[in-house]
Amino acid sequence: MPSICFYFQVHQPYRLKEYTFFDIGHSHHYFDDNKNKQVLDKVSERCYLPTNALMLELIKKHKGNFKISYSISGVALEQFATWRPDVLASFQALAATGCVEFISETYHHSLAYLFSKEEFVRQIEQYKALIKKYFKQEPKVFRNTELQYNNELAKFIEDLGYAGIICEGVDRNLAGRSPNFLYRAPNVSSIKSLLKNYQLSDDIAFRFSNRGWEEWPLTAEKFASWVHSMAGNAETINLFMDYETFGEHQWADTGIFEFMRYMPEHVMKHPDFGFKTPTETLESYEVKGIYDAHHMTSWADMERDLSAWIGNPMQDESIEKIYSLEKAVYASKNAEWIADWQKMLTSDHFYYMTTKFWSDGDVHKYFSPYESPYDAYIYYMNAFSDFSMRLKGEK
Amino acid sequence: MAREPQVLMFGWEFPPVISGGLGVACLGLCKALAPFAKLRMVIPKSVPNFSIPNIELVGLNSFTAEQLREMFRQDQWVDVSSLHYVAGGVHPYMRIGSDEFINEKFYEVFFEEVKPFDLDALYAGDVIRKVMEFARISVQYAMQQDFDVIHSHDWMTFLPGMILKQKTGKPLVLHVHSLEYDRAGEGSRNWVYELERRAMQLADRVIPVSRYTGSVCEKYYGIDPAKITPVHNGVEFVQRTVKKSPMKEKLVIFFGRITMQKGPEYFVEAARVVLAHHPDVKFVMAGSGDLYTPLIEKIADYRMGDKFYFTGFLNKKMLNELLAVADVYCMPSVSEPFGLSAVEAVQYGIPVIMSKTSGAGEVLNSALKIDFWDTHKMAQYIIACLDYPGIRHAVVDQANEDLKSITWENTAKKVMKVYEELLVNSF
Repeated sequence: MPSICFYFQVHQPYRLKEYTFFDIGHSHHYFDDNKNKQVLDKVSERCYLPTNALMLELIKKHKGNFKISYSISGVALEQFATWRPDVLASFQALAATGCVEFISETYHHSLAYLFSKEEFVRQIEQYKALIKKYFKQEPKVFRNTELQYNNELAKFIEDLGYAGIICEGVDRNLAGRSPNFLYRAPNVSSIKSLLKNYQLSDDIAFRFSNRGWEEWPLTAEKFASWVHSMAGNAETINLFMDYETFGEHQWADTGIFEFMRYMPEHVMKHPDFGFKTPTETLESYEVKGIYDAHHMTSWADMERDLSAWIGNPMQDESIEKIYSLEKAVYASKNAEWIADWQKMLTSDHFYYMTTKFWSDGDVHKYFSPYESPYDAYIYYMNAFSDFSMRLKGEK
Repeated sequence: MAREPQVLMFGWEFPPVISGGLGVACLGLCKALAPFAKLRMVIPKSVPNFSIPNIELVGLNSFTAEQLREMFRQDQWVDVSSLHYVAGGVHPYMRIGSDEFINEKFYEVFFEEVKPFDLDALYAGDVIRKVMEFARISVQYAMQQDFDVIHSHDWMTFLPGMILKQKTGKPLVLHVHSLEYDRAGEGSRNWVYELERRAMQLADRVIPVSRYTGSVCEKYYGIDPAKITPVHNGVEFVQRTVKKSPMKEKLVIFFGRITMQKGPEYFVEAARVVLAHHPDVKFVMAGSGDLYTPLIEKIADYRMGDKFYFTGFLNKKMLNELLAVADVYCMPSVSEPFGLSAVEAVQYGIPVIMSKTSGAGEVLNSALKIDFWDTHKMAQYIIACLDYPGIRHAVVDQANEDLKSITWENTAKKVMKVYEELLVNSF
């Protein structure tokens, strides 16, 4: 019987403050505590708390038949622990139901796989410890930042002992096949790949409130009927999206909460359909084919690549420079420095430097706490300059 | 449109007789419009061996006394008494004189015997009188020509546009390259302001050179936004001058008129902040204007004379040489309708720091934008451009993208669309 596999991404970076040239050598605090707390408060009220309450309600109502999974970045969890313990507690309550799985990622939501395999492994281990501490689980499935994925990564993750890996179902790699089955990379022995059904996922995450969309308004019944129409031609329908879809990207007045409240029961009206966690999905189905991803893909933008994170000179220089400090940072054995450095690896810093949406004419897609990508770069490089001076003992 | 529209344009500056960006912009626009419209450009002064294909240039200076007598024969006389009513000021013109004075001038110019038009300098002497003489002769000339639409560039040529619109009912387009608001500040309510306001009210369409200037037309002149169509200027391709810098220090430059409008004092303050932290930088201020000497004194007072150079007015060739060696360009204008010089700096691959109140910023994603008064932020941008290669590369990459769309062809297309909309029922 076919099942829906929900995975929600929860992430909040430590945004850098407007750290100016004049702060270099004078202030060693790089992060904007006020702003970060403010954003966390806002998103907690609009999204995390009401959505967690709804998920808990659904799990109870469906008596164990409604299941979901999360990946909550380590930096987000740290910030919940510091500023919003109530939100952390509501996730812990969900974990305690037994219907919620936690998926592994890099602690700092970083691009480390591309720039330092050592740091990549370190962050995965760090994350594992954190999940154990808060949720008493050991993750068995991995997802990389922005669903970066290729064959080589699948193998790397298999070697770390994971049973499954999450990725985007990219058309060019699927070559006409359905994303609604389990696949595997050509170079692995057992790790299974879960492919996002971007059509149905994006119907909820992006198109839900779009009044220009021919399917608007999207009701729970309609969505369930689309799911049911796949009977016989699907085993797992993977709905992967940012958790902030609920209440933040799609505001409450769009009806997104009502949609979510009734969607599971409409799906389960068809006796063949149900919900599974990623690990249950892996255990329930066989691999249907080879999913061959030579090049790095992601779930981002039309290109499904990393062009919003790397590739312009500001992004390339700042990434190169921050990773160049790795050895010196760990040699210092200074826990505070290591923590600061790791926070500066979070992918969001580099996303804020993107200029690609100007050429697309798609500026509305650029979300940033700064006035321009140039500002993002300058504050980052200023903080970097101060940090590297401290590291070298110059200040 | 069934046929090419016949456009009657009025311009004040036109190459080779130019003072600033207005003449350059009028030429660029005319050249790009020429393939699509039949253009006749009426200007104060034409030069015999300067012509442009497909554009009829009419310099008022070229009419002889004999021609003028013929043009102004009694039976051809254009009654301009209504103009007095339309354009006569109600507020005192601070720099020129009182309301009565302006009215008197009108009477003198429009009812005395016509004399050949002569202009030594575009903006020297009694400019208002020259503007009135220009209006009188060019209207008389235009009434004996065929045209479909009237297009005037800046206040100096708004008068003939207004009279002709009233006399003929033909649509009037006003191209706004600069406003009294930009030149004299937001408190200015003088005769020129009043002329601009009345002309824009009368016009069928106003074309400001940026959305920024469009918002000034709306906010400070009360013009209906429905008839404001901003169209950005283009820029001509340049062959970059190549030159090696004579000094080892990085060079940060300002160029333009050294007047309140251009914000030169903010540049000086930002330089002071930069130098306090970063002594190995030099600054150049190129241009002339009424703040020239006060700023030299200020630099001396700040003890920055060995780091800060004043060049005075630079001609095009010298300016190109300066651009060839500059590392950062600053344009902290208080109010800048477009700001061609910023685009020129971009063409030289120089990072540009400009005020948000500058129209060119709307087409330059690559520019670093500041509030003109935020000298601290300007200083930070200067330092970042000097110290961090990533930003320089990113800005230059983006600038090349930006330049692709800043063309006179794009400008001409949008202006043609305005003509088509106005003439939709005429052809």
